[in-house]
Amino acid sequence: MPKMGIKTAVKKTPTGRTSLSDALFTRTQQRVLGLLFGQPGRSFFATELIGLVGTGSGAVQRELKRLAESGLATVTSVGNQRHYQANPASPLFAPLREIALKTSGLAEPLRAALQPLARRVLAACVYGSVAAGRDTASSDIDLLLVAESMTLEQAHAALEATEQLLARRISVTLYTPAEFRRRKKGGNAFVTKLLAGALIPLLGDIRALG
Amino acid sequence: MPLAELDNLARIGKLKAEPSAASELEGLLRSGTARLADAQRAELNPESRFDLAYNAAHAFSLAALRWHGYRSENRYLVFQTLSHTLKLPAAQWRVLDDAHRKRNLAEYEGVIEVDEALLAALLRVTAELEQRVRALLDAPPGRST
Repeated sequence: MPKMGIKTAVKKTPTGRTSLSDALFTRTQQRVLGLLFGQPGRSFFATELIGLVGTGSGAVQRELKRLAESGLATVTSVGNQRHYQANPASPLFAPLREIALKTSGLAEPLRAALQPLARRVLAACVYGSVAAGRDTASSDIDLLLVAESMTLEQAHAALEATEQLLARRISVTLYTPAEFRRRKKGGNAFVTKLLAGALIPLLGDIRALG
Repeated sequence: MPLAELDNLARIGKLKAEPSAASELEGLLRSGTARLADAQRAELNPESRFDLAYNAAHAFSLAALRWHGYRSENRYLVFQTLSHTLKLPAAQWRVLDDAHRKRNLAEYEGVIEVDEALLAALLRVTAELEQRVRALLDAPPGRST
């Protein structure tokens, strides 16, 4: 029997059961927007996107048609192939790019990939050109991992499927907490530059470490 | 029987087909083993250990490629063929890919930044390469079988 009574406003805390992108977009939209706006410097063939999205050709074609008609994406015909690319002239380019990086185009798949290792990870973040929004079609995703008793091979194995999902190479720098602290304290050029630059946090708080 | 993937690379001019001599394979193995042993010495600088391990990995990888009857002057390509020549798993191959990029940065930009995780991983993968290439060399050469 339901509990009766006066309704009071209760602030709900996020449960994590619904991801940010699930709340906003369908699966197909998430993947298409994630790919196009996650890598705006790159153009994709329709068939390439259909293969990468993996939800069937019709659904992807419909999204691409809407994106092109609204001007959110540009479409160029090369022979009998159509190339789609995020349109930087669209008024929604910057916000969609930000959404893509914080959700399905980068942070969500990376966080999911690191989940099995999360207990050993003190902090993980994306740094470099992708985080700063200066990436080109050939830029890697630069990932910093500060983790206890983890090997580089384990990190690569955990990220292998995500590289394919995001159609992009992930370049990993792995530090133990002790090594990270030592380098930070010693004013190491790489760590200093990284901490001063743009970051997309994935797990923990890298700036609080040390 | 030659591996189809290597044969394709030879056809597009990425690899050269050339039978190997036993003395050449022995030389590469000896060079790799000596460098790997020195790379394990903790009293050396991490940068030197990294160079030694990297060169050992290259010697073992080249030995495997030569055993299969091919050669390449391109170091990256020699590593790239490991998934075929020694059936090296992708996660381990990626360590060599990381090491190769790191070495290029060091050579061309003067950035020497060898972190512990990469050196440890490179040493493990190079030791794995040695085991795999020794097992391979116990079998008769690739192009004649």
